[in-house]
Amino acid sequence: MARLIKTEKEVEGRYTDTWIVVEEDTLDQWPEGPRDSVGRPATRIDGLQRARGEARYTADIQLPGMLHAAVLRGPYAHARVKRLDLEAAREAPGVRGVLGPIQEEVGYPGQAVAAVAADTLAQAEAALALVEVQWEELEPLLDPDEAVARDALVSDARTSERGDVERGFAEADVIVEAEYRTQSVLHNSMETHQAICEWEARDRLTVYISTQFVWGIREQVAEHYELPPDQVRVVCRFMGGGFGSKNSPDDYTYIAADLARETGRPVKCALTRRDENLAAGHRNATIQRLRAGARSDGTITALEGDFVNATGWGGWVSSTGGPMELLYGCESVRITERGAKLNSSPMKAFRAPGFVEGTFGLECLIDELAAKLGLDPLEFRRRNHSEHDAVDGRPFSSKNLLECYTRAQPHWERREQVRASSDGPWKRGVGLASQIWYGGGGPPSYAWVRVGAHGRAVVVTAMQDIGTGSATAMAQIAAEELGLPVDHVDVSLGDTARGPYASISAGSSTIPSMGPAVRAAAADAARQIIEIAAQRFELEERVLSLHGGRIVSADGGSWPIEEITGLLEDGQILGKGSRGPNPTGMRVLTFGVQVAEVAVDVETGEVRVDRIAAIHDVGRVINPLGASSQVEGGIIQGLGHTLSEERLLDPRTGAVLTQTLDSYRMPTIADVPEIVTDLVDIPDAHLTNLGSKGLGEPPIVPTAAAIANAIRDATGADVRSLPITREEMLRALREARERRPERVGAPAA
Amino acid sequence: MELLRPDSVEAAASALRDGSVALAGGTELVPLLREGIVAPSALVQIDRVVPKGIREGWIGAGTTLGELEADPQIPAVLREACSLAASPQLRAMGTVAGNLLQATRCWYWRLKFPCRLHGGDRCFAKEGLHREHAIFANDFCASAHPSDLAAALLALRATLKTNLRELPLSELYRLPTQEDRATTTLGDGELILELTYEQPLASTYLKAMDRRRYAFAIVGVAASRYEDGERLVLAGVAPVPWVLEDPSELDRATPLPGTEYKVEIAKTLVRRAREGIR
Repeated sequence: MARLIKTEKEVEGRYTDTWIVVEEDTLDQWPEGPRDSVGRPATRIDGLQRARGEARYTADIQLPGMLHAAVLRGPYAHARVKRLDLEAAREAPGVRGVLGPIQEEVGYPGQAVAAVAADTLAQAEAALALVEVQWEELEPLLDPDEAVARDALVSDARTSERGDVERGFAEADVIVEAEYRTQSVLHNSMETHQAICEWEARDRLTVYISTQFVWGIREQVAEHYELPPDQVRVVCRFMGGGFGSKNSPDDYTYIAADLARETGRPVKCALTRRDENLAAGHRNATIQRLRAGARSDGTITALEGDFVNATGWGGWVSSTGGPMELLYGCESVRITERGAKLNSSPMKAFRAPGFVEGTFGLECLIDELAAKLGLDPLEFRRRNHSEHDAVDGRPFSSKNLLECYTRAQPHWERREQVRASSDGPWKRGVGLASQIWYGGGGPPSYAWVRVGAHGRAVVVTAMQDIGTGSATAMAQIAAEELGLPVDHVDVSLGDTARGPYASISAGSSTIPSMGPAVRAAAADAARQIIEIAAQRFELEERVLSLHGGRIVSADGGSWPIEEITGLLEDGQILGKGSRGPNPTGMRVLTFGVQVAEVAVDVETGEVRVDRIAAIHDVGRVINPLGASSQVEGGIIQGLGHTLSEERLLDPRTGAVLTQTLDSYRMPTIADVPEIVTDLVDIPDAHLTNLGSKGLGEPPIVPTAAAIANAIRDATGADVRSLPITREEMLRALREARERRPERVGAPAA
Repeated sequence: MELLRPDSVEAAASALRDGSVALAGGTELVPLLREGIVAPSALVQIDRVVPKGIREGWIGAGTTLGELEADPQIPAVLREACSLAASPQLRAMGTVAGNLLQATRCWYWRLKFPCRLHGGDRCFAKEGLHREHAIFANDFCASAHPSDLAAALLALRATLKTNLRELPLSELYRLPTQEDRATTTLGDGELILELTYEQPLASTYLKAMDRRRYAFAIVGVAASRYEDGERLVLAGVAPVPWVLEDPSELDRATPLPGTEYKVEIAKTLVRRAREGIR
């Protein structure tokens, strides 16, 4: 029965209360452990298609008569357009339409000012050179602390306090205080941000877009053009990465749609790689002024953090203080978060926004505190484990962090051996860090399952697979419920006109939001198949089940599923399912711990990460192969964040100095350590019919802190600023030498 | 833009005038063209006229980095410099002469800031971000020369032969000045054809990078030992490849605030390289 409920909706740590209609989730969870399809490694159902270049990404789409847009981007961090002359561009060869000024005041380098649509991209780019702009340069604001001092914030400061922080510090036997900093890093998805817009009539628009949320694009574009949402169709069949940066339409979609309307042709607007490094969002830099106190028995008595996010010209304030609020059971915590409004590009969500940055600061600080107390860092974390949500006292729907710690123990115990393998200037050490993050997903999300005469099934839902393999997981879930092999299940997704509403693929939510809906739809189809079979074979429904592509009777009889579905001829069995509500009054979170082994050349500042063991608790794992790929991807992205990636801005002009992939340094395969993945794989008994949480974000959360803690273990040096370049590493080593001359380059005891 | 494909050195030389540029592997030139940093009147494709190949002590200027890297008769310093440069794909295309002539990676220069190398009157790196920049000869321009091969070949006492002259490799390079912003002495209509080098008793190339592979040198150290002594040459530390007359010269480096760490790395790598060729 449909039920109207008020529910808390969470995406990327941002909560909203909404009324929604949900179907009851009546299916019992499967027992723990691998089943026929679910819980067993499955290769991607579209892997060959992708590898052979047959998958059609947005970047591949060519529509008849399609024009190409080129975008004029302002060169200044802060300036006003005094005059814009598009006439020469309008007359240039091949040009069919011009657009501008898109805004009068540009607030960051690369903000769109004007656009041209032409028959070819080269013609559009050539025409851009003819656009005349008169600029009035304005003073850029680039320093986050200065922005805070001037009260230039993107939104009001958020302060959150529990307990009595002053008393907490007064009761502490040991207090540590430190400033941590993280840099701005870029998503640099393989497929750049892009959209193709085509008006079918004055009031019907199709948008092909590389996106993480086809329904969100539909909603926003419909609102922008004041259209009924059903007259906007959004398509994203294959997608080349987003990492949080592709949740909204952004200017390129509106540029394409405006120019398409003006010219009567489909228009493609695609960011270049350089644009991608200028104007496609970023993980904002942070300044974290942190303080922690503990009693000598290892109880953390107070935590305090003042967080400044270098948010940029727009965007929102990701919760850098979130880990400090949530990770430990400490009674007294105070955090303040501010987002500085600066003349740099707006931040966008980037794989666990806020928590990646905040976990670096917090989990390094916790190690500093453990060292002062003389406590083992793993034991110290165990002693401060939170049994329930420390913010509001709610129980967790499930939490197996202690089990993660137990499984981390053998990796942690390698440290004596690792330290002993230090060799000459190469000092080796081990560090760990905990992970906490959201990832429970939620309603609404719907799926249909269609079974035809041939006995094969199609999952139909307008979700998107952003490259993470979620389509494969859906096929596994449907196959499990229908008793079919996975390769007898197709998945039709990525088109708002061809399936029901589905979740955003952000906030680690695709599997926990979509998986239960797909299972419910498959169960509905399975029920109908059994009803028909019962009539055909004159048996009771309750003795029949679906297994191995067959209809199986409790008395041992079995028939190929086609014997029943074949009766349908052109008929189809249609199952429908929806995502049930999240458990009332419970906090749904993901947990984990990573243990890093590093080697540091104390003479040259080179840091090599040799091994990372990643233990995460995300409920039931649908596809262990896909899950380990997610863990590896998250850790590699985290490695870049930790060691080599940084968007650099000229301190005087705010110009982005790292606009290409030779200066913006992502890790190469040579930098990738051995990665050992261990997923706890215990279903969350309170969460949906699957007990599965999301895994997209958890693996990147603790990586930087685990590496930095390993560096401290190896060298005694405190690295408190990302990325840990050779310059930063040598600085920290020098500081450590000056502080403790007797421990030059020696492994910390 | 015109593409010329001369079939003799003479034809190539006469085509290389009036603002045209030579195109070999294209790994450096194509990005510069795309960004509009180089805007030539014509491209002169020289692959048919520049010698390729490796003989004892002799390298055709059109030989690729990939070929050098794989040939056992090439001294270690040059093979190692090649294998630590760029990526396999780029090494399969890029030629040795092209590598010697590559431009700085200075981000201000690459972003067309009107800096001194572009004929302007300021060095933006000195007043801005410069952690990848020079520790020697950085008063006028703080750019760093990126070529690993130049350092290796200088350590091998290489000599160049162009269509016009023979010169020690060190004379290919010049520090930019107020009067002349060029960083090489290659003239109009001049084409590097071949290189010769002296076989060392031992040699090695060490390179500090921001990641394990596929990055330009923070500091590269080429070291070789001959009967009459050692040669030490650094990449990534000055607007041109930098020959160290003596290791103690590093004590007299003039780093910028953001490049002091490079001196520390250079000292270590020089010591290790010297140990490596003993």
